[in-house]
Order: sequence, then structure tokens, then C-alpha cells
Amino acid sequence: MTHPIAQIGLMHFLIVSFLLFGAGVATILTKRNAIGILIGVELVLNAAAINFVAFNRFGWSGTGGEHATPLIHGQMFSIFIIVLAAAEAAVALAIFLNYYNTFSSIDVEAADEMKG
Amino acid sequence: MTPTQLSIRNLLLIATFAPLVSSMIVILLTRRVLYKAAGWLTFVVMGGAFACAAYAAIQWIGLPVADRLPIVTDVPWIPLAGNTAAGEARWLYLGIMVDGLTIVMMTMVTFIAMLVHLYSIGYMEGDKRYNRFFAYLSLFTFSMLGIVIANSIIMLFVFWELVGLTSYLLIGFWFEKRGPQLACKKAFVMNRVGDMGYLIGFGILFYHLGANVLLPATAQDGNMFAAVVRRLHELDPNFSILNPPIWLTAAGIGIFFGAIGKSAQFPLHTWLPDAMEGPTPVSSIVHSATMVAAGVYLTARIYPILTPGAHLFVATVGLITLVIAACMALVMTDIKRVLAYSTISQLGYMILGLGVGSWTFALYHLITHAFFKCCLFQCSGSVIHAAHHQQDMRYYGGLGKKMPITMTCYFICTLAISGASIPMTDWGISGFYSKDGILAGAVNHGDALGVLLGPLAKLYFWLPMGVAFLTVFYMTRSFALTFLGKPRDQHLYDHAHEAPWQMVLPQIALAILAIASAPFIMPFWQNLINESRSLMWDSGVHWVQPGVDHEMGHGIHYVHKWLGYGVGWIAMLVLGIAIYAPGLKTASRIVRIPGIGVIHNWLVNKLYFDAFYDVFLVHAGKTVAYICSWVDKTIVDGLVNLAGWVTRAFAVVSGGVDNKLVDGAVNGAALAVQNGGNVLRATQPGRIRVYVLVFFLSATLVTLAVLAVVLSLR
Repeated sequence: MTHPIAQIGLMHFLIVSFLLFGAGVATILTKRNAIGILIGVELVLNAAAINFVAFNRFGWSGTGGEHATPLIHGQMFSIFIIVLAAAEAAVALAIFLNYYNTFSSIDVEAADEMKG
Repeated sequence: MTPTQLSIRNLLLIATFAPLVSSMIVILLTRRVLYKAAGWLTFVVMGGAFACAAYAAIQWIGLPVADRLPIVTDVPWIPLAGNTAAGEARWLYLGIMVDGLTIVMMTMVTFIAMLVHLYSIGYMEGDKRYNRFFAYLSLFTFSMLGIVIANSIIMLFVFWELVGLTSYLLIGFWFEKRGPQLACKKAFVMNRVGDMGYLIGFGILFYHLGANVLLPATAQDGNMFAAVVRRLHELDPNFSILNPPIWLTAAGIGIFFGAIGKSAQFPLHTWLPDAMEGPTPVSSIVHSATMVAAGVYLTARIYPILTPGAHLFVATVGLITLVIAACMALVMTDIKRVLAYSTISQLGYMILGLGVGSWTFALYHLITHAFFKCCLFQCSGSVIHAAHHQQDMRYYGGLGKKMPITMTCYFICTLAISGASIPMTDWGISGFYSKDGILAGAVNHGDALGVLLGPLAKLYFWLPMGVAFLTVFYMTRSFALTFLGKPRDQHLYDHAHEAPWQMVLPQIALAILAIASAPFIMPFWQNLINESRSLMWDSGVHWVQPGVDHEMGHGIHYVHKWLGYGVGWIAMLVLGIAIYAPGLKTASRIVRIPGIGVIHNWLVNKLYFDAFYDVFLVHAGKTVAYICSWVDKTIVDGLVNLAGWVTRAFAVVSGGVDNKLVDGAVNGAALAVQNGGNVLRATQPGRIRVYVLVFFLSATLVTLAVLAVVLSLR
């Protein structure tokens, strides 16, 4: 009987990530509030980051054994995603501020001027 | 040039240009200031011109006969191309030539013009273009004086055309009325026809003689055409009068056509009666001293170049003219038209006289005729003036009681134009001498004509002789209808009165001259004209048969005694008074005689000359013009229209292709793009959540598809 923690495998992470991704997408599609959409985007990004980290933990280079080494790249991608998310939040908030100045609202449904 | 010649020349120059100056002053300056004074101003200037001419004439007569050579002054005017053999440049010359004939004509024209100006002051009183009338009248006189004094063919032609222009202005003076409009046009156009002949004749001369015809007369030549003939002799020493070149005959006849137009000879005579539409003073001066006299004067001047053939032509034209005009004068009812046809007839006498070689007497008849015809017109003008401008003699009658002076003058001039004489003696008044001279010339010329024409030659004497009696008759007729008998229009009679003194005075002066010009003044005039002729003859120029120029010596005492002319004219005078003094009843009874009725009808219609011209010239011309117009409109325009139609059809097709196919393709492409765009725009709602949904759905689909592919490859 292994430690319950040890029984947690890649699939669990993927399920969490999938749920998180689904929650993010659902948030993006259903929220009319721009801030809400931004939060949904954050959830999607984090789901992606969880995937990267999980694939990094459970994925090994080589064929296994003592010489097998874990891949460090997943963590690096996560770090990039976090940085990117921070930058994205800053840019998106700036956009929303201007959006509010233009439409006196942050309801994204109000902005359909770019329809074909 | 001696001082006397210089003085004569200067006096005549002044006399010529004075009317031009006064005319210019009147037309330019007198709009307000001198409006009323225009008549007197031009009259006084004309008087001055007459004084100059008369003084020049006195000086000329004072010269010894041997010194009475032409006074010639030339001024080079326009240089011509080429040089003569002598190396001097050729020129068109301006200048004057004065010989006996010029002196006579100058004196006569200025005198008559002066009296007509005086007469016009009375006659034109109250006319709204009073001043302009006098300007035109003076200009007209100037033109005539220019013709008389010109010394070369070209300069003569310049003034010739000026006379044509000014007569147009004067005849059409009352241009508001239809009659004068047509009459002045007719006069102008018919004169142009004659002038065409002048130019053609001149052209023929110029072709054969070159610049020699442009040279002016010299003191020895006699006149400008004599100069031409002298040079003809110089160019060809073998030149023979008996066998002259045909072109010289043609040239003479051509230039004579100018005279036919101006002097209203057959067949261009129809303008002169119509010119009666002008004011009466104009008729008076045109018929006596100026325009129609110019034609006779020209014929006299071209005498040296008239070959025997041309002489025959001239004589025949004169003969036809004098006969037909006298016949028409018999039946006219308009008093001025009777006088107009009488003028044409008398001009026919003059032309006949020139044609048969009776040079001196033809020109002498011109002078005497000037006085009595001018007087007759002035008398008729006084009658018209008194009779509310009614010109039809059928409304007159008995006017003699109201206008005794006019009647007397008219009667004297009737006698003068009739050639009245005392039967079986040599005594008569002016017309007698001049007409007798012409008839004597015709008799003397008979031999020469007989060679050419045979028995027909007799007509050249007998017809003018008979017409002389007709002249008495028609003049008596007009006199009796106007002044004798009972009034036929009481209203008109009551209104009639003697004319104002400005009109009466010239009549009296002219009537006196009509009598006196023959016995008292005749020798001077006749001699002066004769000198002019002698000079021409002496310069080696006599083309007519020898013997004709002897008519001076023998003919004059010959004709009238032989024919009992004196008895004849008295009989015609009595007959005329007997028929017409009671009124028109006897005359209308005569007209009812069948044969005479037809002739009368022909004459009333002026022998259908106008109708003939109307049909054969005017309407023929119009028909040709109509045909040309039809060809133009139908064929030429048709071709153009066809070309236009074809072009238009092409354009329609081309336009259709352009609009439907080319534009259709372009528009269709645009429409397809637009419709496609409309379809696609539904996919662009502009809402971010829709884009996100689409993105996720399509990402999901792509993922599933990739998975399906990967799994199926396993």
C-alpha cells in the first residue's frame, strides 16, 4: 500500500487541469463582465500551466532507470505562463479602462461595432 | 503750264472738291447745329463751285484757240509691278484732264446742281432727314464732277462707282417705303450689270495693251481713250482702221455696257422709271446733269476706241432705246414716269448720235436736254408738291390756273424738248438745234450704214425722225392732262398752289436757259465741244467713215426743211392738246379701237420687260438656287446624315456591349463579392464571446479530428 499521495498520477493532474480549463472557458463564454472574462482567461492559463508541470513530473527522458532524468522545461514554461499572465492582466486591464471610458460600461456585449 | 492754265486747273479742282467738303461738313457736323442750315450751306458751296467753273470757262474761252490744249496733271498713285522699256516705274495715276468738253460739262453740272440744291430747300422742307439729303446730293454732284474731270480710265471708274453708290442712297432716300427700297436696289444692281461690262472691256484692253491703258492722257492726245489708241498705233504701225482687231470691238462694246447701265439704255433701261420713287429733286438732277449724262459722257470719251462694228452696236442700242421708250411714254399716267421714259428716249438720241458719228451734237443735246429736262422735273415736282404727292395725271387737270408760272415753264420746256422751230426756217429753241444735228448725222452716216445693213440703214434716220413727233405728242399729253381742261379731282385742285420761291426761281432760270441756250450760248458750247472733238480727230483718231464729221457744215440746214418738220411738230402739239385737254374721254375711245387696244396694253405693261426679267432672270435664278438647295439638302446633307446615322448605330451597339457585357462583368464581380461579403458578415458579429466560442469549438473539432486520424493510423 503506497502512500496515498504516491497513488496520485498524471491522470489526476490532467483531470484537475481539464476541469480548471473547462471552468475557464465556461467563464469566458458566459460572463458579460470583462473582469470576469479576464479571470476566465487566468483559469485557462493556469490549467495550461498545471499541464506543463504535470507532464514535466511524470514524463522522463530516456527509457527509464537510474539514468533517467526529469525534464526541466515544463517548469520553465509555467514560469513563462505566470509572467505572461501578469503582463496580460496589465494590458487587459488597460484595455478595459479605455473600454470603460468609451462605452461607460465593461459589458463586452456593448462592443459589437466591429461586426462585419 | 501757263498761269492761265494753272488758274483754270485750280478753279476746276476747287469746283470739284467743294461739294465733297460741304457734304462732309453737313454729314459730320450738322446733327443739331446746322440742321436747318444744311440746305443753304450746300447751296452756297455749290454756288461757289459754279462760280469757279464759270470763271474757269471764261478764262478758257479767253485763251487763243491754239492754246486750248488739254490741261493735264498727273499724280503717281499706286506703283505697278514691272518697268517700262525706259526703265521708269509704272503707276496708276490720279489726276485731272481739262479740255473743251470738260469745261462745258463742269459748268453745266455745277449750274444745274446749284439750282437743284436751291429747289430742294423748298421741296425737302420738313423732311426728317433734311440735312442728310443735302449731304447725299452734294456727294452725288462731287462724284459726277469727278467723272467729268478724271484723266484715266481707272480714275473715271472710281467716280463711276461713286455715282452708283450715291444714286442708290438718293433713290432710296425714303427708305421706310417699299417702293424706294426696291427701286434703289434695282438701280444699283442694274448698274452693276453694266459696270461688269465696263470691267470686262477694260480687262480686254489691259490684256492687249498692258499698262499702257493705265497711262493718263497727255496734252496732245485729246482724251484718255485717244491716248490708248495712239499707243495702239505706236505698238503696231500696220494697224488699220479698215480692219480693226475683233478684240478692240469687244472692248469698246464692253465699256459701252457701262454706259448702257448708267444711261438706262436698252436692255438695262428698266431701272430709271422705277427710280422715280426717289425725291423729285433727285430725279431732276439724275435725269439732267449727272448719272444718266455720265453714260453719254463716257461713250463720248471712249469714241476713239470704238471700231465701226462697235459704232453700229452703239447706234443700234440708241435706236432701239429711243423708239421703245417714246412708245412707253405715250401711255404712262404717272407724270414723273412720262418724263422718265422721255429721258430714256432722249438719251437714246444722244447714244444714236454718238453711234452715227454726230459727236458734237450728241453732247450738245446732252447740254440742252439737261436744262429743259431738269426744268420739267422741277415743274412736275412743284405739281406733286402742290397736289398732296399725287403723281397720277388722271387726278390733275386745270392746274394751270392755280400754278401759272409752273405751267409756263413746263410749256416752254415742252416746246424745247419737242424741238420747236418756225416752219421752213432755221430758227427754233434749243432742242431743235441739238436734235436736228443728231438727225443730220444719221442722214450723213447713211452711206456708211448702207454698206453694212442695206435698206435697213434707212431706219436709223426715219425712226428717230418719227419718234421726234412722238416726243411732241407725249409731252403735250402730259402738259394738257396736268394744266389744261377742267379739274378732275376737286379736292386736289382746291389745295393746289404755286410752289415757294426757292422752287419757282430755279424753274424760271432753267426755262429761260431752255430758250436761250440755243441761239445765244450755243456758239460757245458748240465750239468748245467741237474743239474737243477736233483735238481727238487731229491726234489721228477717227474710226468712223470720213464725211460724217462734215455734218456740222451741211446737215444742220438740211433735215427740217426737207421734211417740213416745223409743220409736223405744230400738228402734233395741236393734236395732243385737242385729245387730252378735255380730259380722258377721247383717249379712252381711241384705246377701244381693237388694234390700238392691244398695243396700248403692251405699252402700259412696259413691253413686259420687267416681267421678262422677272421670269427669265429672277425666277430662273431662284429655280437654279432652289435646285442647288435641293441637291445640298438632299444629297450632300443626306450623305452627311447617313454617315451620322451609321456612326450612331455603331455607337449604340458599342454602347450596348460596353454597358451590358463589360460593365456587367465588372458589376457582376462586384455583386458577387458584395453578396459573399453579406453572407460572411453573419460570421462576424463583433462580439468577443462568440469568437471565443467558435475558437474553442473549432479547436475541439480540430483536436478530435487529429485524434481520430492518429488513432486510426495505429
